[in-house]
Amino acid sequence: MKTKIFSILKKELREVFRDKKSLSMMLIIPLMIPLLIIGMSYLFDYQINKSIDNNYHVGFNYKLNEIEEKLTKKLNFNYKIADEKELKKLLETEKLDFYITKNNNKYIINYDKNKETSPINLSVAEQYLNSYKNYLQANFLNKKNINSNEVLNILTIDYKNISKENNNFYVNYITTYAFLFIIMAITISATYPSTDTTAGEKERGTLETLLTFPLKNSDIILGKYLSVFISSIITGLLSFLFTIFSLIYVNNSFKLYANINVLPNISTSLITIFIIICYSALISGLAIAIASHSKTFKEAQSALTPLTFISFFPGMIAFMINIKTTSLISIIPFLNFTQIFNDVNSKNINYLNISLMFISTIIYIGIILSIIIKQYQNEKILFSS
Amino acid sequence: MIKIENVKKEFFKLDKNHQKNKFFAVNDISLKAQDGEIVGILGPNGAGKTTLLRMISGIMKPTSGTITYDKKNFNKNEIEIKKEIAYLSGNTKIYKSISAYELLKMCLDFYDYKKDHEKRIKDISKILELDSFLYNKIENLSTGQTQRVNIARCLIHDPKYYILDEATSGLDIISSQIILDFIKNEKKRGKTILYSTHYMEEAQEICDQVYMINKGKIIASGSPNDIKKKTNTTNLRDSFFKLIGGKKNEN
Repeated sequence: MKTKIFSILKKELREVFRDKKSLSMMLIIPLMIPLLIIGMSYLFDYQINKSIDNNYHVGFNYKLNEIEEKLTKKLNFNYKIADEKELKKLLETEKLDFYITKNNNKYIINYDKNKETSPINLSVAEQYLNSYKNYLQANFLNKKNINSNEVLNILTIDYKNISKENNNFYVNYITTYAFLFIIMAITISATYPSTDTTAGEKERGTLETLLTFPLKNSDIILGKYLSVFISSIITGLLSFLFTIFSLIYVNNSFKLYANINVLPNISTSLITIFIIICYSALISGLAIAIASHSKTFKEAQSALTPLTFISFFPGMIAFMINIKTTSLISIIPFLNFTQIFNDVNSKNINYLNISLMFISTIIYIGIILSIIIKQYQNEKILFSS
Repeated sequence: MIKIENVKKEFFKLDKNHQKNKFFAVNDISLKAQDGEIVGILGPNGAGKTTLLRMISGIMKPTSGTITYDKKNFNKNEIEIKKEIAYLSGNTKIYKSISAYELLKMCLDFYDYKKDHEKRIKDISKILELDSFLYNKIENLSTGQTQRVNIARCLIHDPKYYILDEATSGLDIISSQIILDFIKNEKKRGKTILYSTHYMEEAQEICDQVYMINKGKIIASGSPNDIKKKTNTTNLRDSFFKLIGGKKNEN
């Protein structure tokens, strides 16, 4: 039996690897992963450096005193003094980031809320006015012979970052997106050979030939399933390798990741590879089950299109909404793979959830394969033409 | 010996109101093929020949009736029977992305061929003159060469029974003759051959026994000469038209 499955597997793999379309499907999406990681890192880096290096263009409708001038220099302000009407015009034409108007002791920060940089501009303007207010308060207290330091610093505020090592927002963002792309690459890679090996074989008339050989249906199905599974794993592992290489590249190339180790550690990598293998196993079975119901290659491809969305959608949801991985979620197909990856990526490894994901996947594959074997006993499906 | 008893195959077809209607593609057919005999199954397109041969080769199950190979049946001995069968049809295609050598090697693996695989492929390629294109991909071969590879696929495991369904359909004279010569040679080697065709002249040339089928039923059986005598005709084509009580141009 093993030899027969191996012979069918050999035949199927030969067909997959000699078919240019199957090969390109296996490689196209993995090749897009470096573009995604490098492209996203570039955008993040550009945004952050833009806000750090910016010289703020600020307007005032009053003349600045010596202290105010010092503050503008400290905060990298390129300032302009003009009347309010002109300042408004300059803000509207984006020549100013914000302007400050003064009416007696009342200062007004004028900014454009619709501008992408408005939160940063507002915060800088507040920083400027608070610094000036602090100076005036200290000066007032000192004149009254009161220790300004004791009064103004009666309460001190300090900041402490409690996020775990490597648990950086940008790193999490690109690695999760890369994982979703790996999932998509595996799905697309599984659909083509599964279509070719089932509906394609029917359409070409070679299925009838195969059925005349002394082979059990289970041998035929297992051989076909393993070939799709292997090509999916190859795509998954290639995608993973491309992800690692891309992360090495961005880690060394962008200031954004300075002093951060973007690369996953060995346990994270091994569990990610394990998730990739489990997902490949499930999606290969599902793709064969759907495609073998179809009469023609085209029909099978149309039937498999929703699978690409179904595989990607729960992952997106899990990524966008912060869901806690429970035992129940660990057995929900598609959602469990992304959830467990998110946990592992955040250094939150739960072996019970991983085991549940693995066991449930094995059960689903068993059910799917027995359904396909039954389908191959149904003449309506085999000889639908 | 192949023995078919009261075999029926029921299908459904849709009428113009999209209602499912039952019909028998093969209706109560019984026939025998002795060892070393070529048995022809003759009839027009749609008579039920392909369905009958698909059931005999084990790729379809009969709705009722029995099919036995030397007292073995598909329910109990499917793998064993299939190891002794070669099925060649006008509809069956072979894998095009592999070479003839790879195809033959794969067939030997599937048939669990115990003897030396390389020697067997060498011998068969010599008999069918495949040497010049043995390692070429099948998609690059001509129709005649592809048909020779297809025959090699059938011969490779030295089967006891041949089931040939419209094997010459759509082929040119040379390719058809290759197949007819092959059948005659295998008969000489004591093999049992079931041969379906709608070319009556071919059947007259090679068959020991013929079964004429129309609309899923046997309408005549016997040796070609017996049928001609019974119908008082000079060829099997005329016999067939006489038996269905129609004119030549009706079919």
